[in-house]
Amino acid sequence: MSLNEPSSRTLPANSKPISFTSSHTSVKKVADGVATEGYINIQDLSIVFGKGKNSFVAVERISLEIPPGQFVCLVGPSGCGKSTVLSAIAGFVAPTYGTIQVDGRVVRKPAGERGMVFQQPSLFPWKTVLGNVAHGPLMSGKSKVESHRLAREFLQMVGLANFADSYPATLSGGMQQRVAIARALANFPRVLLMDEPFGALDAQTRIMMQENLLKLWEELRTTVVFVTHDIDEAIFLGDRVVIMSANPGCILADLPICLSQPRNPEVLIEPAFANLKKDCFELIRRESLLAFEQQSRRSSKIQRHR
Amino acid sequence: MTKQQALNRLVLGLSIPLFLGLWEAVSRSGSVNSVLFPPPTLVAVALYNWAIDGSLLIDIMMSISRVVVGFVTGAAAGIVLGILTGRYQILSNLLSPVFQLLRPIPPIAFVPIVILWFGLSELGKWFLVFWGVFFTVWIAAHLGVQRVDKTLIRAAQCLGTPEKRMLQEVLLPGALPYIFVGLRTSISISFYTLVAAELAGTFSGIAYRIEIAQQNLQVGQTIGGLIVLGIISAVADKVFGLLSHRVVWWG
Repeated sequence: MSLNEPSSRTLPANSKPISFTSSHTSVKKVADGVATEGYINIQDLSIVFGKGKNSFVAVERISLEIPPGQFVCLVGPSGCGKSTVLSAIAGFVAPTYGTIQVDGRVVRKPAGERGMVFQQPSLFPWKTVLGNVAHGPLMSGKSKVESHRLAREFLQMVGLANFADSYPATLSGGMQQRVAIARALANFPRVLLMDEPFGALDAQTRIMMQENLLKLWEELRTTVVFVTHDIDEAIFLGDRVVIMSANPGCILADLPICLSQPRNPEVLIEPAFANLKKDCFELIRRESLLAFEQQSRRSSKIQRHR
Repeated sequence: MTKQQALNRLVLGLSIPLFLGLWEAVSRSGSVNSVLFPPPTLVAVALYNWAIDGSLLIDIMMSISRVVVGFVTGAAAGIVLGILTGRYQILSNLLSPVFQLLRPIPPIAFVPIVILWFGLSELGKWFLVFWGVFFTVWIAAHLGVQRVDKTLIRAAQCLGTPEKRMLQEVLLPGALPYIFVGLRTSISISFYTLVAAELAGTFSGIAYRIEIAQQNLQVGQTIGGLIVLGIISAVADKVFGLLSHRVVWWG
């Protein structure tokens, strides 16, 4: 029942000139308009927590292919396993069955090639903003000078260059999350995993963050897997929206999002946006009702057995 | 400044003078035995006499050196072992049961056996202070390492931090706020064990002098010794507080 065909929509060629003109790898990657790294291939993924009677199926037989440079949003109600899928791609949770590959290599443990932004900014409080963003490059063996140069560039991109020497605790939640995004990107990950990164922010800040993220993505074209429970957010950000359902977590629908590019907030009032949103809601509603009926049938059967 | 604030300040400034004045008045009123409860002026005279014959400085230096040696060695051992047991389950399994068994024994209870083992030497004093400090710092470091925010560890992994650098990059700084709380608690513990160590038998030190003065019924010096001990301990705590704000500025 899951529609696994890769998104029918190909990436638009980069029509506008890239404003970000330094000579590091990710820009080269984008220079020809199409990203070549960050192909995610999830086959038959199941994740079961616990053993025996207490086991719980968080994810059941999910297959998902994400081409390089795509922005995919995973939506679904809480408990549908969307964060678990993300944790599995990151390498924090091992698949019980199935495989996850990134650019042909099987994911076994966390690595710098799969950057992650968490719901909480999770910055190192003992490091300055600059120190936080420079951490990844330093760990990958770059010199201190080079790491700091990169960190400054990425801070520039999220608009926080003036806060390089501040400590995270002195920044607002939104600013901290921007640092976290810069930190993940400064490592030039093949894929960027985002676990409800704007969930804890107020509505105004969230919209600003969404626009900022889209702008970054236009420039870098990193593959993004973005988990959210907010359908508006998913449609606004994604090239593609994958809807998951709970009990057990599986894919309900896989929708390409054909809205104007580059996205801007005007998209939110386009009829196309409203239609997509309606489709999503209907899908989710139908599925929830179905699941509910199945559950009640199952429980009535159990009662009859008793 | 409002009237209320001015009054609050005045009361703060009067706190200690009022206390001393009351003490002086009670001592001199004849309602208590002024030999056993000398007024602060006589305590000050006793302190002055103790200072000018040079023995006050020696006593202070001896006591401080005992605290410093015991504290530094105890803290260092506590931090190192705490990080190791906090990080490696196998080491924790090996050492934690033993430490948890020894930790609840009050350090003062070791005085008799310490005298048997080390006599009246400095080594015995160092050992007692070490013993008092070690377990508190160990448990703080152990729990500190284990309580480092899991998301921070995950974030570090996602940034490509190699496993062998995780300790230095995340676990140690993450545990530092806990370790410093343990260290600060240990400062008062180390003075507390110092007193026990010096009462048990030695030839110099503040607590030793307090005991000798008591035996000679020099109550002024006895109380003076208590005040000196209080001041040293308070200064040590203050200095450490400032130091910890510099080292753990984010905590």
